[in-house]
Amino acid sequence: MSAGTRALSLPTRLISAFSGTVGLVIKIVLLSLVNAFAIWAAVVLSDHHKWRALGLLAFVTAAIDAIYLTRRWTLPLKFLIPGTIFLLAFQVIPVAYTINVAFTNYSTGHILSRSEAIANIEQNSLTEAGNGASYAMTLMRSDKHQLVLALLDNSGHAFIGTPDGLRPIPRDQVTIAGGTIASAQGYTPLKGTELGSIDTELSSYKVPVGGGKAIEPQGFDSAVVLEPTYRFDARKDAFVRVKDGVLFKDNGRGSFVAANGAEIEPGWKTYVGMRNFGRIIHSPLIRSPFLKVFLWTMVFATSVVFLSFALGLLLAITLNKPGLSFQRTYRALLIIPYAVPAFLALLVWQGLLNDDFGVVNRAFHTSIPWLFDPNWARVSVILVSVWLTVPYFFLVSLGALQSIPSELIEAAEVDGGGAWQVFRKITLPLLLVAVAPLMIASFAFNFNNFNNIYLLTGGGPALNNSPVAGATDILISYTYKIAFAAGKGQDYGLASAIAILIFITVGTISAISFSRTKALENLA
Amino acid sequence: MKVGRRPAVLLAVVLAVALSLVGSRSAPAAHASTKAAKLTIWVDNVQKPAVDKITSSWGTRRGVDVNVVFHSFGTIRDDLKTVKAENAPDVIVAAHDWTGDLAANGLVLSLFPTKALKKQFPKYALDAFSYGGRLYGAPYALENVGLVVNTRLVKVPKTFAQFEKEALAFKRKSPDNIALAVPQGSGGDAYHMYPFFSGLGGFVFGHAKNGALQPNKLGLASKTFLNNASLIDKWNREGLINSKIDYGTAKNAWLKQQAAFWITGPWEVDALKASGNPFRIIQLPKIKYQSVPFLGVQGAMVTKFAQAHGVESLAKDLVASEMMKAGFQLDLEQANLRYPANKLAGKRVNDPILRQFGAAGAGGVPMPNIPQMGSVWAELGGAWVKATKGTGATSARVAFTTAAKNILDKIAGG
Repeated sequence: MSAGTRALSLPTRLISAFSGTVGLVIKIVLLSLVNAFAIWAAVVLSDHHKWRALGLLAFVTAAIDAIYLTRRWTLPLKFLIPGTIFLLAFQVIPVAYTINVAFTNYSTGHILSRSEAIANIEQNSLTEAGNGASYAMTLMRSDKHQLVLALLDNSGHAFIGTPDGLRPIPRDQVTIAGGTIASAQGYTPLKGTELGSIDTELSSYKVPVGGGKAIEPQGFDSAVVLEPTYRFDARKDAFVRVKDGVLFKDNGRGSFVAANGAEIEPGWKTYVGMRNFGRIIHSPLIRSPFLKVFLWTMVFATSVVFLSFALGLLLAITLNKPGLSFQRTYRALLIIPYAVPAFLALLVWQGLLNDDFGVVNRAFHTSIPWLFDPNWARVSVILVSVWLTVPYFFLVSLGALQSIPSELIEAAEVDGGGAWQVFRKITLPLLLVAVAPLMIASFAFNFNNFNNIYLLTGGGPALNNSPVAGATDILISYTYKIAFAAGKGQDYGLASAIAILIFITVGTISAISFSRTKALENLA
Repeated sequence: MKVGRRPAVLLAVVLAVALSLVGSRSAPAAHASTKAAKLTIWVDNVQKPAVDKITSSWGTRRGVDVNVVFHSFGTIRDDLKTVKAENAPDVIVAAHDWTGDLAANGLVLSLFPTKALKKQFPKYALDAFSYGGRLYGAPYALENVGLVVNTRLVKVPKTFAQFEKEALAFKRKSPDNIALAVPQGSGGDAYHMYPFFSGLGGFVFGHAKNGALQPNKLGLASKTFLNNASLIDKWNREGLINSKIDYGTAKNAWLKQQAAFWITGPWEVDALKASGNPFRIIQLPKIKYQSVPFLGVQGAMVTKFAQAHGVESLAKDLVASEMMKAGFQLDLEQANLRYPANKLAGKRVNDPILRQFGAAGAGGVPMPNIPQMGSVWAELGGAWVKATKGTGATSARVAFTTAAKNILDKIAGG
């Protein structure tokens, strides 16, 4: 009973510990760190003119200071605040972000903002005009300190290029060395380290040569004649293809698209409403294997949890027997699968199970297609996952078994209960009170156990009649394949939409299961 | 103690400490902004020494502070999409097959090197870094797989028939032997299998007139290829190719002399040398067509962030001029043991193994660099796995036709 009183007094003891001098110092250090972080964040936020966020930051920081610096009446808050902050930072914000992304077209080709995309199209649509004329370039300054380009074309003609245009310059006014103009009368060449400081001026430098074409410097030694393929028409809010005047209009989904469906890359990130959810329902690629994958996911997660629990419990009961020799050694050995990094264990298993060259088939002189036959591959992923999960349930069951008062069992035995009866009527129900929530958690974990599937079979082997999902693909690995290995590369919007559906599924199953476990507690 | 408990006093103490913390951190930062132009490069650890060397002399010459940052190669592409502008690189080293993805996302700038410089590169190396007819990267290194032959165990084959005969004869010598160590495993490996694919007349994407790849013109189930596909069934029956061999199995078998032939690339040079096996590297002999491998081209790109950082011209000078020159490419060759993309540099390569790998890549096809390639890898690899898994294998014709249909579905519907 002394344990109970100690546990009860813990908050009180904590408070008294933090009221002393040591506590005061710790408090000052921690609060100073919080305030230092806030001041730094305030500087950054004001740099970016985020005034609302700045206001919120000031309010929160002031509130934290007030709560921890004033006396007793804020006591409950002192305990609540850290938990709330971590909840917001690690749960609420990522979930909110995922939900937000699910309603956007965030994907390959749609990661810039609209204005960035327009600027990028204007720049990257430049092509070398005609035969791709290029000039050897020397950067110079005029007497009036204006930046000019001294250009030498392939046939040895010299020019001076300025933002006003191109002007030929007589050969006797220039000296040419090493294929470039070394000096020109009336101009001073820029040399060495000076070049590093004129970048901003140079990168937007254009020497117009008529017909929308311009000579543009490339680096510091050469310049090429470039012409745009697309021109942005701000009035129509659309791009015009210079060659034939075809209009590329904003399609409302983050792209400029022509009437014939041709699309200019890049597009931009924008909200697309329920479109990603619509794709899940309408695309045959996603819809047709969905049910099959969902069922297999349920089978996988359920069987891993129940088999692991059964096996873990069996081992726990065996090793819980008092007086067993080498008890500690056995226990230590059993925990090994838990201690080895899972991804390593999975890769090792992949080698062990190799159909022709794996140790398993060689040792037993069998030729079971562990990884290449759909059904055997399903067996393999379940077996390996069970191997990885058993130690967990072994530990949990061992702990729970030891916490069951031996009086209860002895009383049952005195009343004439057999071993099986005692186990079924007394031990198991009491055990389940503690273990059932963990089984639900383990189910949720295995429902989304991407690592096991991806590292062991990669979702394979492929099924003949299904384009995306392989035999062992569970929902999350299947999502990965749809969102990151199909279409045009990565599709975060679609992935987030499916993630939300998975979240709802797992959440519902867990909620139902938890409400069932309440009944267990009443029973106990 | 009494004083310390007064909230106002405590607040003052806390704020004083906080301000001093912030003050000491931001003082040097204020200094940095007044300095000369700064160029940030993301490089993986293999190439860092060579890039360090060239950029430090270039930086001094141009008056730029070059900040060469180690970034793990596999994460450069995706990190570029999420990095904050302040920390973003101006130049990255890249694999050519990222080109389509990065260009479609608007993250890299097009480059216009001089004609004279472009002539020093094979066309395919420049094509590899082009997307929609525009160049986005400066190629500097090539890599491809070759057929590594253990010359103590077998003769170097001149024709495919000879190769097939030698490989099968070697396999029959011992139950532990493997005819050909080409990695697949349950996930498949379309990259290592490509020489067999191209040798039967297969290709992945067709070209448009301007050289751009066309995602809807798929060559997986082309008539030519399907007509030759029965050879795959034959190889499966006789055990020449076995999809149950994964990377580790293939490598081990060759190193332990349980395989005389191994399809691998220059990343295994150290293992090849350490094995003590005498070997030669050749291109897989012609099957129906020249059995060319996939080419991987490495290079450098200028990111869109260079503009905002005010170093666009500097970055273009470094990438589209300096890094394309033969000298730099040879320096890199020493560092990362890859064949240089610059032809002048290629002529000066002395390392015999590298030269052999270079020759094995002749006529090779750059891996398609358009984002739609993501839909191809698993399907193409999977078709090989299904068709060469020994007993119970799917006929190659069915496997590749299905794969082609799936890929088109994926590209359209993903």
